[in-house]
Amino acid sequence: MTRTETAKPWAESRLPFLGTWRRGLAAPVLSRDAPYLGTLPVLITATLVFMTLSGLVLWVYYQPWHAYGSISFIERDVNSGWLIHGFHATGTTMIFGAVFLALFRALLLGEYRAPGELVWFLSLGQLILLMLVGYLGYLMTGGAVAFWSLAQGSGAAMALTGFPGAIGAWIFGGADGAATLGRFAVFHVALALALFGILALFFAARRALAVPGVPRNAVGFHPYYTAQYFAAFVIYALIFAVLVFFLPQLGENPLNQAAGSPLLLPVGLAPPWYLLAVGAIAHVGPGALGAIVAVLAGFAVLFALPWLDRSTPAAPTGGLYRLLIVVLALDVVALSLAAAAAPSTLADVLTGLFTLYYFLHFLVLTPAVTAWRAG
Amino acid sequence: MRRLLLTVVALVALTAPRAVAEDTLNPPHWQSQGALGSYDLAALQRGFLVYQTVCASCHSAGALHYRDLQALGFSSDQVAALASNVKLANGPATLDDAFKNPFPDPAAAGAAFGGAVPPDLSSIVRSRPKGLLYVYRLLTGYRDAPADATILPGHYFNIGVAGQQIAMPPPLKDNQVQYADGTKPTTQQEASDVTAFLAWASDPNLNTRRKVGLRVVLFLVFLTVLAVATKRKIWRETV
Repeated sequence: MTRTETAKPWAESRLPFLGTWRRGLAAPVLSRDAPYLGTLPVLITATLVFMTLSGLVLWVYYQPWHAYGSISFIERDVNSGWLIHGFHATGTTMIFGAVFLALFRALLLGEYRAPGELVWFLSLGQLILLMLVGYLGYLMTGGAVAFWSLAQGSGAAMALTGFPGAIGAWIFGGADGAATLGRFAVFHVALALALFGILALFFAARRALAVPGVPRNAVGFHPYYTAQYFAAFVIYALIFAVLVFFLPQLGENPLNQAAGSPLLLPVGLAPPWYLLAVGAIAHVGPGALGAIVAVLAGFAVLFALPWLDRSTPAAPTGGLYRLLIVVLALDVVALSLAAAAAPSTLADVLTGLFTLYYFLHFLVLTPAVTAWRAG
Repeated sequence: MRRLLLTVVALVALTAPRAVAEDTLNPPHWQSQGALGSYDLAALQRGFLVYQTVCASCHSAGALHYRDLQALGFSSDQVAALASNVKLANGPATLDDAFKNPFPDPAAAGAAFGGAVPPDLSSIVRSRPKGLLYVYRLLTGYRDAPADATILPGHYFNIGVAGQQIAMPPPLKDNQVQYADGTKPTTQQEASDVTAFLAWASDPNLNTRRKVGLRVVLFLVFLTVLAVATKRKIWRETV
């Protein structure tokens, strides 16, 4: 035996691929300046895995025919059920927080511009799927607000005619709440699994964006980025733990803790925090079709952003544009707060104004500012 | 029923550690409030006495079982004795029965109260914004109606609810119950205690959640310091 062979670690000499992995992980090919926020996509994926596992436990006990009662049973009578349910409910807040933060960062840095359009589209697809999954999960709670949101949504869908009506009837399976929740439980799981597919495409497309060649002063993934990922993961877990154990109802409408009942109509149907902005934009559109068109338009301007931005792709986004993105984020927060407030004329007017600014930002301000900057 | 409850509560009060006397009524506050608060078992037991003597005659609390009362400091035998005094359709209640629903269905309840169905109280504190204060203000909000107020038939003037009218007659009055631990049973005290009990009913895992949570968070704070320090040390060595 030669010296190099005997020096190999025990496991690697028996499973050579372990050595290939180790050398691959330690190979100095990565640039040194990846920030902590660059770990967000991995944290999102990890949360999704965590949600799948906690969801699996909840699925064992969940009964769409007694939705509220079965969740109450999980919380009160299943061993550690309150913890698993808390993980699943607060995991939603964590994953949406991470996705919104990642999208904000992509906007701020102009990462949606060529050649990053596909990565941007996949991020948006991830947001839309996640919102659908979140909305279905929220309806599945069977709480008073969810119950009436479902009654309103399915009623509006049943009233549609022609092709939209057929789609609506297929999704809701009639205006009956219990039968609908059985379908939604299936959609909730199927769409959540589809999210893994979107994430896989996202990582593949993002990898293709990497500049070929080894950067100057390159470092290996291990130990440099493993240490960074570990630190990011622990900080994320700390925030998660504080929310699960000390603010378990954060961002929820408290009225949704009451059982859904035809005899109890909540004042206003404010959804959980991550759906407030979309709900507000839907509210602006007249009628069911108007609501659908308004929401589609809200997402369409995001998809059109690579073309609405007239700047040179490689150039930095510039101070004025960054300020506009911060204002846009504040506008979305304000829109959410207006939607969460008790129904009033003032809240309606503010919702309209903030929605108007949202579209103004993408359709007027973005092309104007970026074209002016590109000269 | 009431005498037995009193005996049970008295027995427990003798063995349980006494809470330090504190004016929790001015302004109304509860030990479970705040990030690290926990339930006051003495208040929960007094609150259960009020609940069982007053509220339970009209309201259901279907998510609760008699066995859950052991979390209030009652022994299994005490709770079994207590449950056996509750008559269900198929005989006396056992530990594993849900709290008795005084009406067979909402329609019967509605018929008994002129259309106003008494809500289920399992999650009442959790399902209202600022639930503790909401319940307390509702229970202590009954006043004489001002001369210019139009009160609906079968309703009572109450400054604690939206619209200032409620179909529930004033449920509490001074000396409605006799507390075994010597606490003076004023209307405010009864309201405060039953509110504490309903808060526990809404969120029975609060004590465990905060105890586990504190350990987890402390561990993660320590781990965060360690992880960030490690990361910085590893990166410093490359320069």
